[in-house]
Amino acid sequence: MKTQLTLTPDPIDERALIAEREMSDGMGAALIFHGFVRAQEGEATIAAIDYEAFDDMACHQFELIFEEIDRQWPIESVRVVHRVGVVPVNEPSLWVELIAPHRAEAFKACQFLINEMKQRVPIWKRPVVPSS
Amino acid sequence: MTVTVKFWSYFKDHTECAETSLELPAGATLGEAHAAVIAQFPVLGDMQSSTLKAVGVNYQPDEFLLSDDDEISLFPPVQGG
Repeated sequence: MKTQLTLTPDPIDERALIAEREMSDGMGAALIFHGFVRAQEGEATIAAIDYEAFDDMACHQFELIFEEIDRQWPIESVRVVHRVGVVPVNEPSLWVELIAPHRAEAFKACQFLINEMKQRVPIWKRPVVPSS
Repeated sequence: MTVTVKFWSYFKDHTECAETSLELPAGATLGEAHAAVIAQFPVLGDMQSSTLKAVGVNYQPDEFLLSDDDEISLFPPVQGG
């Protein structure tokens, strides 16, 4: 399984990511998930989220998740981009792409990846309130 | 032995530092190191049960035996995505 992980302070350039996609002719599913920053964080209205990552450990934990996906499903490739730093409301903080022969395994692997990420990948967020 | 302890997320705010070092007896465990950190920074005691602990880039249990120069990380539950 091919993997690609990017932790970046830059906006996610989906057009470029899709242009770089490599997909063999046996693959029938390309699943893309975007996680967006919401304007509501609990009861508060926010302007952005400031993401902090423990980069080395985050990369290692993502690699462990990728290995588990490779053991469980016939995924051809998985690519993950996670923003760090300040991400404004309505911008994606997370971009995930899975390429698989069929949609079922792509959906299952995507759900697994995100669930595991939220349990063990050391990334934290701080809400940024709108300036008055 | 000497180990480094790094704090992440709002743990840094509570301790007012990004890292500290600890002198521990040989054979000390990660749980004992955590207790020593709480003795130094009592504010972290309130979050003891939810604190996640890693050595290097791997999560480890309290029973994990530390070695000289280990790098411990203590942090709150993660929130990626």
